[in-house]
Amino acid sequence: MLEMRNIHKSYGSVRANRGIDLTVPPGRIVGLLGENGSGKSTLMKVLFGVVRADSGTIYFKGRELAGHQPADAIAAGIGMIHQHFMLVDAMTVTENVMLGWQKAGRWLRPRQIAELIRTTTSAYGLDVDPDATVGRLSYGQRQRVEITKALMRASDLLILDEPTSNLSPPEVSRLLDLMRRLREQGRSVIFISHKLGEVLDVCDDIVVLRDGEVTGRCSSVGATRAELAHMMVGRDVTAAIEPRAHDCGAEILTVTSLSLRDEAGIERLRDVNIALHAGEILSIAGVDGNGQAELVEVIAGLRIPDRGRIVLANRDISQSTARARVAAGLAYIPVDRANMSLVLGMTVEDNLALREFNRAPLSRWCWLNRENFRAHATTRMAQFDVRASGPDAPARTLSGGNQQKIVVAREIGRNPKVLIAVQPTWGLDPGATRFVIDQVLALREAGGAILYISSELDEVLTIGDRIAVIHGGRLSEAMPRGQADVTEIGLMMAGVTQPPQRLEARPS
Amino acid sequence: MFESRLTPTKEIDEDATPAPRASLSAGDGSRAFLLACIAVALAFAVTAVLIAISGQSPFAAYWALIKGALGSTDRIAFALNKSTPYILAGVGIALCFRARIINIGAEGQIAVGGLIASWVALHAAAWPGIVVIPLALMAGALGGATWAAIAAIIRQTRGVHEVLCTLLLNFVGILLVSEALHGDMGEPGAGFPQSRLFERSVWLPKLLPGTDLHIGIVIAMLATVIGHVLLWRTTFGFRLRMLGASSTAAAYAGVSFAGCAFAVMALAGAFAGIAGGIEVVGVHYRLIDGFSLGFGFNAVAVALLASINPLAVLPAGLFFGFLEAGALAMQREVGVPSSLVFVIQGLTMVFVLCAIGIGVRRQRI
Repeated sequence: MLEMRNIHKSYGSVRANRGIDLTVPPGRIVGLLGENGSGKSTLMKVLFGVVRADSGTIYFKGRELAGHQPADAIAAGIGMIHQHFMLVDAMTVTENVMLGWQKAGRWLRPRQIAELIRTTTSAYGLDVDPDATVGRLSYGQRQRVEITKALMRASDLLILDEPTSNLSPPEVSRLLDLMRRLREQGRSVIFISHKLGEVLDVCDDIVVLRDGEVTGRCSSVGATRAELAHMMVGRDVTAAIEPRAHDCGAEILTVTSLSLRDEAGIERLRDVNIALHAGEILSIAGVDGNGQAELVEVIAGLRIPDRGRIVLANRDISQSTARARVAAGLAYIPVDRANMSLVLGMTVEDNLALREFNRAPLSRWCWLNRENFRAHATTRMAQFDVRASGPDAPARTLSGGNQQKIVVAREIGRNPKVLIAVQPTWGLDPGATRFVIDQVLALREAGGAILYISSELDEVLTIGDRIAVIHGGRLSEAMPRGQADVTEIGLMMAGVTQPPQRLEARPS
Repeated sequence: MFESRLTPTKEIDEDATPAPRASLSAGDGSRAFLLACIAVALAFAVTAVLIAISGQSPFAAYWALIKGALGSTDRIAFALNKSTPYILAGVGIALCFRARIINIGAEGQIAVGGLIASWVALHAAAWPGIVVIPLALMAGALGGATWAAIAAIIRQTRGVHEVLCTLLLNFVGILLVSEALHGDMGEPGAGFPQSRLFERSVWLPKLLPGTDLHIGIVIAMLATVIGHVLLWRTTFGFRLRMLGASSTAAAYAGVSFAGCAFAVMALAGAFAGIAGGIEVVGVHYRLIDGFSLGFGFNAVAVALLASINPLAVLPAGLFFGFLEAGALAMQREVGVPSSLVFVIQGLTMVFVLCAIGIGVRRQRI
């Protein structure tokens, strides 16, 4: 039904897709497996016409698709269910289905359409109320509305982009059933996921991507999780860097029974405990959306937990503001450079002062000391090799690597007791990646404690002295790197096994 | 939803466009000035065509406009007085917009400021002017600040967007003035809702003897400097700039939105309140129904024309003041309706906003 051949796509220097072939026969469910940044989403955007491939050909139902827009893809019979739904919250299900649908007719006929929705959805056991307002529906229900939309537009190929990320287990099994039913009808599905279990459960064929290339193709019959995990992660990751023997200091950050429910009442963190020692790196592996974002924000003081205690250097900071935590010696490198860790419209100088602007020597009372701003910036820029036309250059004008150096300079430069780093090397070239890693290691040597969070297994295994896995808001016991096994961690990230009961209070 | 927070995808990087206002401000002041000048020139050019279509000579009309605005000391004094409230209210609005707080309530804040200042001027008339005048202006500031603070509190506690609160409070403020003038504060026997004339001692001192030019323009200039220093030299300004650029980054830096929003709204209200006070004790020497009409919205236009740069509010406000001063002369001498000036103002704003749009698009690439 679908044949994509030799797809290439680069974003600047990042080669997201390098010669990918993908074939989807009619009536098959194809699993597209890969870590974040492996090129899955790019490939699907190329297929759907959101971005244009640099080279390569796409044949759908025997016709070539080239230079197409999403509207053309929909007309050809491709339906895509994005992770972020394309629904209007204030409208009813019927209205959303009619929206932008030529066949709904020139005149609106909500009643007929609603009837049509009822017959379609009941055929698939979808259970969608056409009169409900979308804004009141749960995540899973909205997803079913999106699927209904795609079905009614007669999509022969349905692309589901990580559809199970925000679903509860029963909703997941319903979705998998639905996918099987679509297959019976002769439709094809591309199921994008990094959850091994679901992929093995429902897919006929599995394609594994890594670094923009296909690293494995297999039939789900006979494939094992361990095999797939290995294909996904690749490389001999454990041997990358020698674990360094060093003395570990006292326990400096203690997190006890942290729990959090989000605004919708969904449990995001469940009884999380962390004991972090001076001079060690504790890395946390986990698939995105399993609570790591919430955990980090709670520790940094940007979110209030429902329960739990956070003690930093014998001081209870559970109730402190983000600013007070910075003053207490907590540093935080968030993953989002564009919106959070930097203000791109402000100068390098201002960005370097972002988290300390209200303290001496950068300010006194309410007055900024611009000379000290400048001096502080000059020192830090030299110390961390930030390449900019000057301290007064807007951060926007710097390269991604140098932007991240500003963040690293600001957070590590003040010698924090504890550093929380969330994928600090995301999107950086190898040189900048090395630099950031070296700075983190240097902080460890200087006695700082680091909580290193990443969804990239590679990185977690390379840098962590101890490694823990977060899944479904629960943090496993940390294990020393020597005892960590890549397959086992991969499985724990997928939520397959219970955390091993090896208790190690400290790395050896 | 959670994925995006932890691992920004390519899209998020690309979509992280800066705030249009923040983008025009930091650093490239001369570029913003150039864009404003082009916008003004284009507005005049388009209006010239309109004048020509109506059968008049645009040159004659603009000559009359210039003479009306700059032709004599009296004309200049009149124009400067006209500019004063625009500048004062414009500075406050510029500061609010910096933090992405859309305060369009200057109109009501001016009205309430004028009302409170009038009350002081009427009731403390027995005291010496040197005491009463500052007291009246401060009372005006307090009134304006309170009016803005009400909007901020509604926003904070009830979650009603500040655009709505400030807009609606405008009408309440204006009607409050009417109400007062129809009641206790009204002048008995006057055919028009207005207060008694204030005692001469509480009239705002003149800057140039023999003209109407009062010291309000000096206060307005002072306000632009205060706004500038506040924005660039204090931690408060740093917070505002951060909030305007990214609320996530501001939270990360430990800035409280509620505190900043309240403070900057109150400050803008105070500036607008002073403007109201100056109008009553400096221009009319009494409270008049509807004295604040149009000031608030023109002040928004002034702030935008200045690309929300407090210092640039001064020329922008003067431009609006002189334009209006010249408009009347243009109507009188050439017979071109003075309302054409509103066309010029409106077109200027359209072109300015287009220029901001261009700036943003350039920055995306």
